[in-house]
Amino acid sequence: MGKIILDKMAMQRALTRITYEIVEKNKGVEDLVLIGIKTRGIFLANRIADRLQQLENVSIPVGELDITNYRDDIEHDAMSSDVKMSNNKINFSIEGKRVILVDDVLYTGRTVRAALSAVMDLGRPKSINLAVLVDRGHRELPIRADFVGKNIPSSQKEKIKVYVSEIDDKDAVELIK
Amino acid sequence: MTIDIKKVLLLGGGPTNIGHENELDAAAFERLMALKKTGAKIIYVDDNAFSVTTEEIQPANVYVQEVSFQNVVTIIDKEHPDAIMATTGGLNGMQIAWQLAESGILASNNITLLGIKPADLRKVMDNQKLRDTLTEINEKVIASKIVADDDEAMDFVREVGFPVIVKPMSSSHDTSRFICNNTDELEDALDVSFKRTYIKRCSIEQSIVGYKEIEMVGIRDANGNKILISGMEDMDPIGIHSGDSIIFAPTQTLINEEYQALRTATFRIMDSLNITGTCHVQFAQSRTDSNYFVTKVSPFFTRNTILAAKATGYPLTYVSSFLELGYNLTEIKLPSRYSKFLAFMEPTMDHVVVKIPLWPFRDITDVDQHLNTLMKSVGSTIGIGRTVEEAIIKSMHSSQFSPRDILPSVSTVDDDDVINQLIHPLASRILILMEALHRGFSIDELSELTQIDRFYFYKLNQLLRAQDFVVNNPLSPQSIEIGHKYGFGDGMLAELWKVNISKIQQMNENYKNHVTYKAIEPSAGEFLECTNVFYSSYELENESRPFTEKSALVIGRGGNQLGPNSAADYYTSQILRSLHKCGYKTIIMNTNPNAVSLTPQLSDKQYIEPIQLGNILNIIELEKPDVVILPGNRHYLSKQLKQFKALNIIVLPPDQKIATYNQKKATTAVDLFIEGNEILPVTTISFVGKDQLTDLRFINDYKEPMDNWESDEDKLIANASKNIDTHEWQGLVQVLYNTNGDSKYEMTGIRPVRITETAFLTKTTGINWINVLVRKYLGKLDMVSLREDWQPTEHKRSAIMTAHFPFRELQSGRSEGTTKQEVGSSLSFKNFE
Amino acid sequence: MTERYLILEDGSAYAGKAFGSLATTTGEIVANSTMNGYQEIISNQIYHNQIIVFTQSSIGNTGLDQNAYESILPSAKGVIVREYENLATDHFKRISLDRYLKQHKIPGIYDVDTREIRHHLQRRGNMKASIVDVADDHAFDQLHATVLTNQQVAQVATPKPFPNPDEGANVVVVDFGLKSGILRELSHRDCNVTVVPWNFSSAQILDLDPDGIVLSTGPGSPANLPNSVLDMITDVQSQAPLFAIGLGHELFALANGAKITKLTVEHHGSNHPIREIITNEIFFSGQEQGYAVDPKSIDHAKLFITHVDLVNGTVQGLRHRDYPAFSVQFSPDGAPGPKDSVGLFDDFVEIMARRRDSNDDRY
Repeated sequence: MGKIILDKMAMQRALTRITYEIVEKNKGVEDLVLIGIKTRGIFLANRIADRLQQLENVSIPVGELDITNYRDDIEHDAMSSDVKMSNNKINFSIEGKRVILVDDVLYTGRTVRAALSAVMDLGRPKSINLAVLVDRGHRELPIRADFVGKNIPSSQKEKIKVYVSEIDDKDAVELIK
Repeated sequence: MTIDIKKVLLLGGGPTNIGHENELDAAAFERLMALKKTGAKIIYVDDNAFSVTTEEIQPANVYVQEVSFQNVVTIIDKEHPDAIMATTGGLNGMQIAWQLAESGILASNNITLLGIKPADLRKVMDNQKLRDTLTEINEKVIASKIVADDDEAMDFVREVGFPVIVKPMSSSHDTSRFICNNTDELEDALDVSFKRTYIKRCSIEQSIVGYKEIEMVGIRDANGNKILISGMEDMDPIGIHSGDSIIFAPTQTLINEEYQALRTATFRIMDSLNITGTCHVQFAQSRTDSNYFVTKVSPFFTRNTILAAKATGYPLTYVSSFLELGYNLTEIKLPSRYSKFLAFMEPTMDHVVVKIPLWPFRDITDVDQHLNTLMKSVGSTIGIGRTVEEAIIKSMHSSQFSPRDILPSVSTVDDDDVINQLIHPLASRILILMEALHRGFSIDELSELTQIDRFYFYKLNQLLRAQDFVVNNPLSPQSIEIGHKYGFGDGMLAELWKVNISKIQQMNENYKNHVTYKAIEPSAGEFLECTNVFYSSYELENESRPFTEKSALVIGRGGNQLGPNSAADYYTSQILRSLHKCGYKTIIMNTNPNAVSLTPQLSDKQYIEPIQLGNILNIIELEKPDVVILPGNRHYLSKQLKQFKALNIIVLPPDQKIATYNQKKATTAVDLFIEGNEILPVTTISFVGKDQLTDLRFINDYKEPMDNWESDEDKLIANASKNIDTHEWQGLVQVLYNTNGDSKYEMTGIRPVRITETAFLTKTTGINWINVLVRKYLGKLDMVSLREDWQPTEHKRSAIMTAHFPFRELQSGRSEGTTKQEVGSSLSFKNFE
Repeated sequence: MTERYLILEDGSAYAGKAFGSLATTTGEIVANSTMNGYQEIISNQIYHNQIIVFTQSSIGNTGLDQNAYESILPSAKGVIVREYENLATDHFKRISLDRYLKQHKIPGIYDVDTREIRHHLQRRGNMKASIVDVADDHAFDQLHATVLTNQQVAQVATPKPFPNPDEGANVVVVDFGLKSGILRELSHRDCNVTVVPWNFSSAQILDLDPDGIVLSTGPGSPANLPNSVLDMITDVQSQAPLFAIGLGHELFALANGAKITKLTVEHHGSNHPIREIITNEIFFSGQEQGYAVDPKSIDHAKLFITHVDLVNGTVQGLRHRDYPAFSVQFSPDGAPGPKDSVGLFDDFVEIMARRRDSNDDRY
């Protein structure tokens, strides 16, 4: 049985705080682009973009990244970049941009590493930052998030599940034992 | 993001019964006014014979049918609506919505269920799912378990502790429940219960008897914005059904921390169910710590949803209609009478509302009259005051059905009986509480016996002290001041001192004790402009300005009882509409929070005041209405009011005292409308009593037109017209006949058409006879167009009005009832071949 | 029952009955429309030198709760209500309202038309008032002659620092007339709190090595405080996360170049929707405000407006663009009032935690 760690309100507030911190750290929203990682990161990136729109009245581009083919834990044949990028929707140039990668959970760091490779394949951004809703620890790679909604220390046996109302009909983060 | 709707099916509440009275019709009516603004086509289904809502919709779009799953499916097949609003159908409406969702009918017909999504509806309607949902958001529910033997029961008790409640599981209407405080009691209860259940299962649950019952009503929009409309507190503890409890708004005995916790819980529940619209949540709050349990979640219209709206003056029904359609709170514009108040401001009160239930025990005597977990009340009245005492006393005299201004005494009850009734309360609950205080029971003792918070005894005690002072100091200015402060109307003072009310009025004049009226509005005086709903108080500022145009006061019927009450509410509503059409500013006075006649769109001004002589005269004094209409046969009140010669009083229907008929012999009637010496036949009726009884008191069904109308109607109408003396009879008149079905008719009497049947005639003939009557007595009747509109003998269909009785709900073995025991009626039509 | 009078600066007089202390007092009269929490309201230091009119018609029903005081020595000048109940009921409510008011020399008047008074104040605006035995010329002369102090903060704030130890984040609370609700919320989140006097310098504060700084609520106009307070704020806001509430919010705004205006009618209640601009959501909270940040004076290169009151348009929240420093006009602690925004304290704690994390090298 899952235990709710972040309810809807707490999730909303975490995203709000991340948004403010993004503006704070980047001294504004100039050259900012958001890239959401696979399913839930994309919805979170969109929500951050909505907040930036409300706050600064600017439309920040949001890209969608599917890093399945970059995972180093999945064996795959050598593929061309075209094939690798087939599920991505990034209709803007990241050249010289400040990229904020957005994901739901930061765990071993392998997903983010793959995302970094994928982004680097697209061009040369000015900087890449990472925003995650939950940091649950147990890193296997030297990766850290710049913006964190909530640190949730967890054992490796436990699972963290993020629900977003866009596809899960509720907003919540659950710890499943 | 609003939902684009072209055609919406609105579910009605059905005939009045225990559990719901006219509030669902009132809600549907208000909702209709809101929906009309959206341009959507509205389909309505309801068989309530006294529905005001059905009158407001194009007849072609009204289905006069029982609100049942099967009927709704048929209507969907025919009409193809793109949305359903079920919340105005109450619990029945929600159950139908659930069935529609579960059976896939909503999905396959591409119909949007408004207010709550099907997946979320399941979380409410399925008890186990609701428990899971609440547990998941960390809200506590009462632990319960189905057990098959003593060991399982003991395991459960070890987990939750005593007391527990044991109930046998059975499909019959067995509602026995055993409260067990220790192992011995538990063993006995299990022993008895297992014998009563053929499936050998008992339910056992944690007992919260004695907890405070708190009710919260909130609204939520699709964006997740929420407002708490009102918190309410049941004076009676858990163990007495909330529908049978005296209720206070706002809450009286919660500290801020407790109140805010329940508010937050209500919001979390609404969020977890994604409700767009209204939700009523009930809680059991511990008396000794901050612990609470969620006991009920109702995301639809309930009596107390409506009470929350009436108490605060917040236009809940109007706003929630738009919320269900997907509007955000910030997008909803309120009707102009709300002035600067905004739909998304949280209501705040500067007055107190007390609701007292009304029970049917005077008319149905052979049932268990104890107040417990089974609801028995059929209506309620509210009292509003600036102080708790004032609100209590007003609600108490509104709950007395005699219009005399005194409270009944229970001083003859002996001490043992008082104690017994404190522990096992009856309908006279509040009078017994006062009597016990009077006899010197200590407040601690009383609170212990009744589990009622000490606060209420303090207040009742102050009322008693005030009453003593008033009784012991007759006709003193100070007594009048104290009397007024505590809510004793002038009529009550007059009765207590045994003087004519004019004497008190004279004293008021001399000492400048003028009544003031305060607006019931949701901002607690933040905005200077006020709404059009008022209650009285003796203070500095009067906020009610009389109309400069010609005006009419209609004296409402008060709380629902058995008998023709919901018909009277319909009748009253129609009178208001007629008066409005005749160019009058309309003023209604009523105390029934569930009355359709109190909906804001039906009148220009509303007074929520006891229907008592003193209060009526005060309103008349201020408003100086050109006409006062008294619907219903209230002989005492009409006699009292007629003393005041300057008043232009119309009693509708006219006093029945001139009626002469044999009530034991009537099967058939001819209804006539008489204006001057002109007689207009309306229609014919057959009365159907149980077991072919011809007694007018035992009629269950009314049929229009009469049986054998093809052959017999013309001659019967001719006979009736011949036998009527137009000098003696005016307006709607009923000539009674008796027949054995052999086409031979014996005339057995004449009487004015009663309220119930006037409503029936209005529903069946397509002519609003209430409007006709109002016009007649205002001298504004246009006979020429009435004659043109009305073609009496063209019958294309037969209409049947069937009376409903609350016997099953009250667990009475009776099956046949008298007209005085009716709780509501349903209507149906059948086309002739 | 002694008859006493409430007299107003504009010449109005209201006769009512006395309860609580029989002192003669003068203060600014304000109406509060919150329906719960009379105890929290009366004991809030924001009402220093003010006479509170409750629009809620009945107070005192639940006695006084040990856990719901907002200050130890309340300094309101009076309580006006339609009716009060003098109950001291069960085990955790031992003191009655009457006794409490007597203890703290606060006079009360009941049995007056508080709805009329509310209307009157809405029409005429803020003014002085007295609670007196006789409403004669002398009383009015006294009222007119009374000059209310502008040293309210100095009178109610702690003169010496004191700790409220715990094991979490190290928070320095600058006391301008602190309400206990703020401490309660910080305690719930295990914060190790040091409350310091309002006139502590930035150096004195930073010497305590705070993980975060709270600027508290308090009475009166922010303009009555010396510029040294504003200097302190500009110094500390770049050094540690900062959360400012009520008077603290007004000072935070002043320190960042905004201007403050006095409301013609003070707003005390919890019925106004507050919009959080970034999410477009509305919520409710206890609001007790006589002053407001002028939105036109805000330098948008420095501050975000984060919250607005949708009824009167006042600024309800600000955030610095460059630092984790934010402020709200309302009381998110819900003592009294809705707890809809109590999560702001979670945000504050989370910001402090994030800051600590980024200062260590544990990954």
